Amino acid sequence: MVATAEPLEQAHTTEAEDPHEHLMLDPKPRGEMNGMVMEAMHTTSWKFWVVAGLLGLIVLTCLLISWGYLISEGLGVAGVNRPSFWGIFLVNTVYWIGISHAGTFVSALLRVMKAEFRRPFTRAAELMTTFGLIQAALSIFMHMGRVWVSYWMFPYPNARGLWPNYHSPLGWDFLAINTYLMASTMYLFLPLIPDLAMARDRSTGWRKVFYRLLSLGFRGTEGEWTHLRTAMNIFAWGIIPVMFSVHTIVAWDFAVATRPGWSSTVFGPYFVVGALQSGIAAVAMVIVTIRATMKNMKYFIRPEHLDAIGKLMLIVSMIWAYFFFNDYMVQWYGGDKFTQMLLEFHEKGPMGWMWFGMLIFNVAIPFLTLWNKKIRRNPGMLFTIGLLINVGMWFERYIIIPVSLTINRMPFTWKLYVPRIEILLSIGTLAFFVLIYMVASRLIPLVPVWEVQEGQEAHGLRKVGKARVKTVSDIE
Amino acid sequence: MSETKTFLALFSDIDPAVEAMDRMREHGVSDEEMNVISGIPFTEHILGRPRVWSNVPRLALGGAIAGCLFGIFLAVGITNLYPLNVGGQGLVSGAPTVVLLFEMTMLGLLASTFIGVFLDSTFPSYRPKEYISEISDGKIAILYSIPEEKENELKEILSHLGAESIAPAERRQL
Repeated sequence: MVATAEPLEQAHTTEAEDPHEHLMLDPKPRGEMNGMVMEAMHTTSWKFWVVAGLLGLIVLTCLLISWGYLISEGLGVAGVNRPSFWGIFLVNTVYWIGISHAGTFVSALLRVMKAEFRRPFTRAAELMTTFGLIQAALSIFMHMGRVWVSYWMFPYPNARGLWPNYHSPLGWDFLAINTYLMASTMYLFLPLIPDLAMARDRSTGWRKVFYRLLSLGFRGTEGEWTHLRTAMNIFAWGIIPVMFSVHTIVAWDFAVATRPGWSSTVFGPYFVVGALQSGIAAVAMVIVTIRATMKNMKYFIRPEHLDAIGKLMLIVSMIWAYFFFNDYMVQWYGGDKFTQMLLEFHEKGPMGWMWFGMLIFNVAIPFLTLWNKKIRRNPGMLFTIGLLINVGMWFERYIIIPVSLTINRMPFTWKLYVPRIEILLSIGTLAFFVLIYMVASRLIPLVPVWEVQEGQEAHGLRKVGKARVKTVSDIE
Repeated sequence: MSETKTFLALFSDIDPAVEAMDRMREHGVSDEEMNVISGIPFTEHILGRPRVWSNVPRLALGGAIAGCLFGIFLAVGITNLYPLNVGGQGLVSGAPTVVLLFEMTMLGLLASTFIGVFLDSTFPSYRPKEYISEISDGKIAILYSIPEEKENELKEILSHLGAESIAPAERRQL
């Protein structure tokens, strides 16, 4: 058999990467990029209004009217009852807080790590944080039932002369979620100021007034940039531990109770990783949607970004699988009678399909698909995998909360939770999230143009041997 | 004594802008009389300019301390002001106090950082300012104040270095 070697020249051309594939190496003039982002904001087809109208209708019926009914009739119209006093409202709370983690992770952690692929979609992720937290807060208020006494949560002496009890994890939750909501909103706003100023310079009419007010008089002087950059560095470092604390504290709501399935020392990190799992998958869904539906976004969001997010999804999926098994192993090995019953109920009970679905969506599907570069770079595939991961993570929270509450140490109370009005309200919160995101996409520059330009200024190509390789200069 | 005039020179690239500032210094324009306005942040090392003082880190530290003190007040102060004795247990417990202190410290840190940007940059400020919208399209502007008699000399130097336009800086509504 005669071996034939590939011609040297051809080998080089097939191995060489196309520099224009990378956003950082394919710069456009800043004015052109500004124009593209503004055009994306202003171009609205009839489909947008149809979808927005439908979502508005869903929000009106499933969120506002249903919630009004819940408030007027009381929590009796919901499915929560003994032994599952915590139902879908808290499943949604945990889920939405999880979604909110992605914004901080993508923006702050990748900023600190100087991961360049973050640049075009940090804002899309940060918006998810703020909007996700709004849904989480709404879900908590729904769970409270009597929302008109929600001010009792504040550190304010109530009619009985007592202060809220900070020995309760619910009190910690209040502080952590509020801290995170305020911090993430501020963190969203700071890097937005230069882009609002850009939008101000290119707008007329009511939009001009809107952007003028929000851009606060920003011009881009040395002092303004210095203060902004300093603040963003402090935020990037400061908000990361806050992000970790929020979901850890949410996990402690469960883990500090001596209930079967809940009393676990790894619940804190397990919840944090679960939050990142669903949050990063949601970022993938959002950027694929933005890329497909908004004008000019194919320039900013490229297969390289989908590839990077896909890799993150795979890594986080592996970590989630590790924590899940760790938690399962210790609970199973402990040999507690009721915990054994609960674990068996998870797998073989009426909600067993959900338990297996969780493992298939969160572990099997990412493991079997995301190792493949072609799949990671395929928008449709990445969106589908992201959707399945989110369904899987919602299942996980459902199993942890109402399904696990079914089996306790008092068998005479065992009863499977069946949601009622919660289903409508869940659909309502999801529709509300999508609706406010859609509205924001028409008012807020979704791509941080100045950050993209900064990255493009820092990147270049250098000849090493016969290849031209990417180089990054530290100009930040 | 001659009158001082303020100009805005516009460059399309950073290198000629930096060189222009060097030449302006050589012609007696001090750093205090210049300011760079740009669409992306350039560090003082890139611009060759003195470091801009920022109070943001100090305000952040102050906010963190204030937040921590408020956390102590919540965790320790109010439990002593309104004691609730349960089964002979201590009024203040360690772990929940740590959670409270952490959250309040971080809230103080981040909120004061945010406020610090407003204070240091004097935001919001809707007064007319020297600015042109080409800056947000990537141009780099040097805003400088000089005595009237140096106007032509510097104009010539900056034009030679590639300034796209040099015009008296007009305050306009942003």
